[in-house]
Amino acid sequence: MQMYPEQIANALINESFQSRRLIVGAFVIVNVVMLTAGLLWPKSYTGSTSIIVDEKSIMEPLMKGAAVATETADRNRNVREVILGRSIMGKVLERAGWLADHPTALEQEGRIEQIKARTTVTPVGRDVIKIEYRDSDEKRTLFVTKTFADLFIQEMIAQKESDTRSAFDFIDKQAQEYQQKLTAAEDELRQLRSSNLDARPGTDIELSARLIALNTRIENTTTELREAEMKHASLERQVNGEAEVTVLATREAQFRARIAELQAKLDTLRLTFLDTHPDIVQLKHQIQDLRAEASAQRERRDKAKPSDGVETDETVVNNPVYQQLRRELSQSRLTIDTLKARIAEAQRLLQEEVNRGKGLHSGDARLVELTRDHQINREIYQDLLHRRERARVSINMDSDRQSSSFRILDPATASFSPNAPRFWQFMLGGMVLGVLIPVGLLFTRLQFDPRVRLATAISERHKVLVAAVVPHLWSPRELTGLRKELAILALVVTATLALSATLSVVRFLGVL
Amino acid sequence: MSKIEKALKKAGEDRGKPQLVAAAAKAGRTAPWTALVGQQIEPLETISRMAESEHKLLGAEELWARGIIHPEQNKEPAVQVFRELRTKINQQSQGQNAVILVAAVSRGNGASFIARNLAAAFAFDSAKTALLVDCNLGNPSVHQLIPNASLPGLADYFENPEIAVSKIIHPVGIARLRAIATGRLRENPAEYFVSMKMRRLIESLRERYRDRFIVLDGPPMSDIADARILSELSDYVLVVARHGRATNAQIESGLSAISSSKLLGIVFNDEPRIPWLR
Repeated sequence: MQMYPEQIANALINESFQSRRLIVGAFVIVNVVMLTAGLLWPKSYTGSTSIIVDEKSIMEPLMKGAAVATETADRNRNVREVILGRSIMGKVLERAGWLADHPTALEQEGRIEQIKARTTVTPVGRDVIKIEYRDSDEKRTLFVTKTFADLFIQEMIAQKESDTRSAFDFIDKQAQEYQQKLTAAEDELRQLRSSNLDARPGTDIELSARLIALNTRIENTTTELREAEMKHASLERQVNGEAEVTVLATREAQFRARIAELQAKLDTLRLTFLDTHPDIVQLKHQIQDLRAEASAQRERRDKAKPSDGVETDETVVNNPVYQQLRRELSQSRLTIDTLKARIAEAQRLLQEEVNRGKGLHSGDARLVELTRDHQINREIYQDLLHRRERARVSINMDSDRQSSSFRILDPATASFSPNAPRFWQFMLGGMVLGVLIPVGLLFTRLQFDPRVRLATAISERHKVLVAAVVPHLWSPRELTGLRKELAILALVVTATLALSATLSVVRFLGVL
Repeated sequence: MSKIEKALKKAGEDRGKPQLVAAAAKAGRTAPWTALVGQQIEPLETISRMAESEHKLLGAEELWARGIIHPEQNKEPAVQVFRELRTKINQQSQGQNAVILVAAVSRGNGASFIARNLAAAFAFDSAKTALLVDCNLGNPSVHQLIPNASLPGLADYFENPEIAVSKIIHPVGIARLRAIATGRLRENPAEYFVSMKMRRLIESLRERYRDRFIVLDGPPMSDIADARILSELSDYVLVVARHGRATNAQIESGLSAISSSKLLGIVFNDEPRIPWLR
C-alpha cells in the first residue's frame, strides 16, 4: 500500500496513542534492560604501546643475492605470531598473576585464548608495530601491555641473535663443504694431467692447427705435382714431333712443291675449262718444265753421294731444339719424383697426427668438465668466505647489542577503551530504542496487520467510498480515566528518565 | 413534532405523568445508566407517552456518557462526522426520508454505535425525526436506550398480530428520536426478516411520517442472509468497519453481499485520535 509520509506520521501518532500502555511499557523495559546492561557491562581499558621494528632479517643482508627476503605481510604475521606465541603468553600469564590460582593446563589455554582475543597487533606504517590490549582492570591493562612490549623486544633480540648465529653456522658449513669440493676437484685435475701428458689446456687447438698445416702442405704439393706432370707430358709431345736431325730444304724438294701446287691449280681449271684452254696449256707446260728441272737436280745429287755408304749429305745436321727438349724432359721427371715423395711424407705425418688426436679427445672432455667445476667451486667458496666474515662481525655486533633495531616508541599507557560502549551510550541508546522499538513494531503492524487500520487502505483496496471516518467518542468517564492513565504513564516515563539520569550521575561520580 | 403527537401529549397530561425511577435493578438487559422508565403504560397511551417524554430529554452530558452525540458538542469531531454523514445521506435521498441499514462487517465493529448516533444526528434537525430499529437480533443493543426493557419490541410485533406498530415505537430521551427494540426474542428469530410482515412494517414506518429517517441497526454482514434481506428492504446501506478489528477479507465478503447501488460507503469506526488534539 502506498502511503504518504504525512499519512504514516498521522497513523503512527494515532496508533501510538491507542497503544500507549504498550509503548510506555516497552520504553520502560528497554530502558531498564539497557541501563542494567550498561551497569553490568565490564569496564574496558585499552593499553597500547608502539615498538619500532627494523625487522630486516640478518639473513637478508648476509645472504643478499643468494637468498630471498621475506615479504612485509609475512613479517607482520611473524610479529603477531611472536607476540601471541606460547612463549610470550606463558610469561604474561605468570607475571600478570593469572597463574596464582594454579589453573589446569586447559584453563591456562582458555585464559591464553582470552588474552589473545583482547590483544591486537597492528602494523603502523612500515616499521612500527602497535600492540593494544583490553582489560577490565586498569593496572593490569597497563602491566600486561608493558610486559608484552618488553617480552617482545627480548624475544626478538634473542631471535635475531639466534638468526645471526644460525646464519653464520650455515655459511660456515657451506664454506667447509665447498672447500672440500674444491680440494676434490683439484686432486682429480692433477691426477688426470699426470695420467695424460697431452691433457693440458689448448692441446686440441694445437693439434687442429697442425692438421690444417699438413693438409695445406699436401694440397700445395699435389698442385705442384700436377703442374710438373703436365709439363712432362707437354715436353714428351714436343720431343716426339721434333726430328733428331734436321734436313735442309733442297732445290728438288722446292721443285716438287711447285709442281704439286701447279698441279692443283691445273685440276681446278680443268673442272671449268677444256684442256685446250690456254691457261691449262700454259700450266701443263710449266709443270713439265719443273719436272724436268727436278729430275736434273736428283741426278746431280746421286752423283755427289759418298761411296762408303756413310751418308754425308750436306743437308743433314744434329737438331739443337731436340737436344734442349730432351734435357728439360729429364729435369721434369726428376721434379715429379721429388714431389711424389714429399706428398707421401706429408700424408704419413697427417695420419700420425689424426691418430694422436683420437687419443687426446676422450681425456680432453673430462678435463674441461673438471676445470669448469673447479672454477665455479672456487668462486662460490671465495664468496662464502666473505660472507662468513661478515656474519662473524654481525655476531659480534649482536653480542654487543650494537645492531639492536627494536625499541619502544610509545611507552605503554592505559585508558578507557575508545570503542567500548560507555554508560551514557547505553542510557541514550535505551531512550532511543525505547521509542524506536515500539514505534517500529507499530509501524510493522500497520504494514502487515490484516486488520484494517487506515481508512485510505479500505478505499484503495476495495475501490469503495469511505463515507465517514468516525473517531473514537470519548465519554466523560473515559476522558477522566484517560487523564489519570496519561498522568500515570507520564509518571512512569519520568521515573524511568530520572532513574537513567541518577544512574548516569552516580556512574559519572564513580560510585558504581 | 407532528400535530397528532401534540394532541396526544395534551391528552396524556390529563391522565397524569409517568413515574421516573431508577432502572438499574430491573431486567438484566437494562443498562445501569438507564434512568427514564415508564412503569405501566397502556397500549393506547403509547404515543401520548412518547410525546410527553419529549420534556424528559436527556442532557448533553448524559447522552455523552452513554456514547450518544448531542448537538451541543460542536467541537467533538465525532459530532461533526455524523453531521456530515447525515448531510450526505440527505443529499443522496434528495430530502426524502429513507431507510438506512447500518451493518458491521463482523460482530464487534460498532454498527450499533454508528446506527444510534446516525439516528441522533438525523434528529438534530428540528424538521426531521428519526427512528432507530434494532434488527441485530443476535446482539441487540437498542433496548438499552429505552427506559423500560419490558416494553414490546420487534419480536412482540411479529409474534403477536394484535400489537400495533405504534406500540413498539418508544422514546429514548432524545428529541425527535424514537426506537424499536428487539423485544422478547424467541429461540429462533431467524425468519422474522423474511416475512412479508417485516416488509410491511418497514413500508408502514416509512409512510407513517414523511420526515422520518429510519435507521436499521443491522446484524453483522457475516450473517449474510439477514444482511442481504435487510439491505433489500433499505434504501441505503452503510457498512461499518472498525479500526484494528475488521479485516480486508471481512470487508470484501460484506461488500459482496449488498448491491452496489445501495451502498453509501464504508464507515471507518473508532479511529484512534488523541482527544485534545482537534
